[in-house]
Amino acid sequence: MYQFNFQPVFDNLDLLLYGAWLTVRLSLMAMILGLIVSVLGAVAKTSGIRPLRWLIDVYVEVIRNTPFLVQIFFIFFGLPAAGISMSPNVAALVALVINVGAYGTEIIRAGIESIPQGQVEAGRALGLNPVQIFRYVILKPALRNIYPSLTSQFIYLMLTSSVVSVISANDLASAGADLNAQTFASFEIYLVLTILYFLLAFGFSTMFSAIRRIFFTYPAGR
Amino acid sequence: MKPNRRIFTVLAASALAAGLAAPSLAAELEAIESAGSVKIGMLVDFPPFGIQDTSGKPDGYDADVAKALADYLGVTPEIVPVTGPNRIPYLLSGQVDVLVASLGITEERAQKVDFSTPYAGISIAVYGDSTLEVTEASGLDGQSIAVARASTQDTGVSEVAPEGTDIRRFDDDASAVQALMSGQVKLIGASNVVMSQIAGATGDRFDKKFDLSSQVQGIAVAPGSDALLEKINGFVGEARSDGTLDEIHEKWLGEPLPDFVKNAE
Repeated sequence: MYQFNFQPVFDNLDLLLYGAWLTVRLSLMAMILGLIVSVLGAVAKTSGIRPLRWLIDVYVEVIRNTPFLVQIFFIFFGLPAAGISMSPNVAALVALVINVGAYGTEIIRAGIESIPQGQVEAGRALGLNPVQIFRYVILKPALRNIYPSLTSQFIYLMLTSSVVSVISANDLASAGADLNAQTFASFEIYLVLTILYFLLAFGFSTMFSAIRRIFFTYPAGR
Repeated sequence: MKPNRRIFTVLAASALAAGLAAPSLAAELEAIESAGSVKIGMLVDFPPFGIQDTSGKPDGYDADVAKALADYLGVTPEIVPVTGPNRIPYLLSGQVDVLVASLGITEERAQKVDFSTPYAGISIAVYGDSTLEVTEASGLDGQSIAVARASTQDTGVSEVAPEGTDIRRFDDDASAVQALMSGQVKLIGASNVVMSQIAGATGDRFDKKFDLSSQVQGIAVAPGSDALLEKINGFVGEARSDGTLDEIHEKWLGEPLPDFVKNAE
C-alpha cells in the first residue's frame, strides 16, 4: 500500500508557488506579445499586399503544422548555430510568442473577415479616418466576435508553457520536476501541480471574463 | 509399507529443497580448465561496455576484456548475455563462472560476490570549453553548467557548486550535451562515457575541468572461488601493466584506462 506523504510538498510549497508565479509571468508576457504579433499578422494577411500575405501564410502554416516541442528545441539548440543565442527563459518566451502568434493570427483574421463590408462603409460615411475605422469599426468588433476562441488559445498557451523545462527554463513544471528529483514523492507533487495548474487556468479564465465585461459588451463604450 | 513410503517422500522432498536452496556454487578453476571453456556473463545493453555487434554477438569493452581473460586462462570464452538485475543470480546459481558485466564495486555487492581488482571505471566530472579556466568547484561561480536532472552528476554538481552557479537541469544527458555543443552553456557535469561518445564529434573543443566522483568496476566470481579469483587478479594486474586494458579502453572510450582505475586496489 502506497504511503501518502505530503510533507515534502508542504515543506517546499514556496518553491512550487514561486514556480507558479514564473508560469504566470511567462504566460502573461507571451499573451501580450502574442496578441500584438497576432493583430499585426492578421492586418498583414487581410491587407491587399501580396508578398506580405504570402510571408504571413508561410509563418502561420509552418508553426501550425509543427510540434511546439520541435519549435522550442530549434530556437534553443538550433539558432545558436546561426549566431542567435538566448538564455533558456528568453528562448521559452520567444518560442511561446511565435507559437501563439501563428494561431492568434488565424483567429483574428477570421474575426476581421466576419465584419460586413457595409459596416466599414458606414464608418466611412460617418467621416471616420482609416485608423479610426480600423480601430473602432473593424478591430474591436472583430475581437468581440472571436474573444472566446482567442482566450481559450491563451489558456492553452499557459498549459503548453509547462514543456519549457526541456530547455531548462524555469516554471511551475520544472519546479515540480526538481522537487520530484529530490524527494521522489511523485504522486503528491504532481497532484499538487495539477491543482495549481487548474487554479491558474481558472484564474486566467476569470480574468478574461472580467476583461470581456469591461471592454467588449454592448453598448460598446469608448 | 506406508510409513516407509512417507519417509521416502520426505527425504526426496528435502533433498530437492536442499538442491534448490543450495548456497552459491563456487566455480572451480580446475573444472574450467578441464572443460576448456569459461562461461562469462556480460551486459549487452550498456554501451560502450556491453553491446551487440551488427551480427548480434556481444561486443564492447567487457567483451574484449572477457576474451583477453579467457586467453589468459588458456580456455575458450563462452559469453552469456545477462541483464542488470539478473547478473548476480546468474553467477550465484553457477550458470556463469565469471561476471565481466560492468559490475560496480559496492559494499552490498561485495557481501554476495567476490570482486577482483578493478578493471574499469566510470567517473563523473565537470567538463567544459577548453578556453575556460576552471580548475575547482569555486570556479563555477557565475558560470552556467548543464546536467541531467536527478542524475549522479546533478547531485555531485549541486553539492559543490557555489551560490552564484547557474545550474541548468535538462531531462537527460542528450539534452545537456546538446546545450553544451550549441554553446548555450560553457560547462557540463557528465560521465567519461558520455564525453567519450561526443569526443569524436568535437575534438579538443572541450576538456575535463575537475573530478566529482568515480565508481570502479570489478570482475566478479561466486564466493569461495578462491583459486579462480587469484588467477583473475593475476590477469587484471598483468593487463593493467602491459597495456592490454589501455588498448581496449582506448578502443571503446577514446582514452587509456584512467588513473583512478589503475590506482584502485
